[in-house]
Amino acid sequence: MNWRDPETMNVVIGKVLRYGVILSGAIILLGTIGLAATNGLSDTSGMLTYNPNTVPHDNLDVSLGGLAQGLITFSAFSWIELGVIVLIATPVSRVIISVFLFAAERDRLYVLVTAVVLTLLLFSMLVTPFIPGFHA
Amino acid sequence: MFVIEFVLLMFLVSIFAGIFGSIVGLGGGVVIIPVLTILMGVDIHFAIGASIVAIIGTSSGAASTYVRDKVTNLRIGMFLELGSASGAITGAAIAAYTNSAALETVFGGILLVSLVPMVMKIGEEIPKSPELKGMPKRLGLRGSYTESDGRVINYNATRPVEGLAGTAVAGVLSGLLGIGGGAFKVLSMDLAMKLPMKVSTTTSNFMIGVTAAASAGIYFARGDVDPLIVAPVALGILIGAAIGARILLRSRNTTVRKIFAIVLAIAAVQMILSALGVPV
Repeated sequence: MNWRDPETMNVVIGKVLRYGVILSGAIILLGTIGLAATNGLSDTSGMLTYNPNTVPHDNLDVSLGGLAQGLITFSAFSWIELGVIVLIATPVSRVIISVFLFAAERDRLYVLVTAVVLTLLLFSMLVTPFIPGFHA
Repeated sequence: MFVIEFVLLMFLVSIFAGIFGSIVGLGGGVVIIPVLTILMGVDIHFAIGASIVAIIGTSSGAASTYVRDKVTNLRIGMFLELGSASGAITGAAIAAYTNSAALETVFGGILLVSLVPMVMKIGEEIPKSPELKGMPKRLGLRGSYTESDGRVINYNATRPVEGLAGTAVAGVLSGLLGIGGGAFKVLSMDLAMKLPMKVSTTTSNFMIGVTAAASAGIYFARGDVDPLIVAPVALGILIGAAIGARILLRSRNTTVRKIFAIVLAIAAVQMILSALGVPV
């Protein structure tokens, strides 16, 4: 692969997005099959109630420990969550890889542009949820 | 309703949402949110959480095709992401001090007004490309793509500052409400930067995944991303986006513009209804 050829970027980014989508889709599909097999004939009414006083609400443990525990015990919800995390990570990895692809093209201006976008993105995803007063 | 019925219904609706979302560059939330809230009786918080995942799914699912076939302009997309990413953080920071109903009224009104220039350009297949000079030249904001009939379309961008300002507004909206960013991105590229319609919608489609990912953390941590709702939505959206991408590549720019104008009108009405307290 010629890394200085501008077409390389289209090929690589196209593949990163495609593999991310296939991986997350496969994990979510497995989780959904598990959900249908175990809870398919349950009633949804109790499962879709949103209670702002117990956020994160009752039927969901969004902590890392809770997720790991659920994955080991083959909880369908946890596997779906993992698939969703892979899906969210896909555009983020696309931005990370773009920094290197622009560097390979020797395009310093766009290495800078992409690095700034990546910094803003990571700040927004990982820091702002924990700043008091944000997202209120 | 049985879980299995809910899953199948949302799966089918999401295929439809993915097809339209990937063609117009907005990401499918326009369809997903009202179906969940009005037809399924799901709380608006869960609906927005599902919409965020739907946007990321449409974006990545369709962009894998658009980027490979070079309809998406990667440099224009990366440049404009400066605006949407900083806007998203600004939106999160000012959320506590803003009246979301007032904002939705204003933004819904802007979308309605922007229907006018959109409809006036309704028959335009390829815009008359401006000369590449000044800032767009230094930033390399030009490109070319090949139509399905083999014609090569060359284009140059103009007014990058206005484009960046428009996508910053899109970012603020996403950061504040979790929705509504895509329409402003397409409008910025179409009305300000004078790009061909398919380049505008596919480059918006490319960007919305990053903007939605920027606010996904907070919705995930709050528990608004409910696996039961999100699973069929994500699966349907990914299939729909793959279908939509193939349709767009074979469509004329004028067709894409007509579909966009209709979806834009729906999005504007939705935003104004939401301001009036209807959970859409």
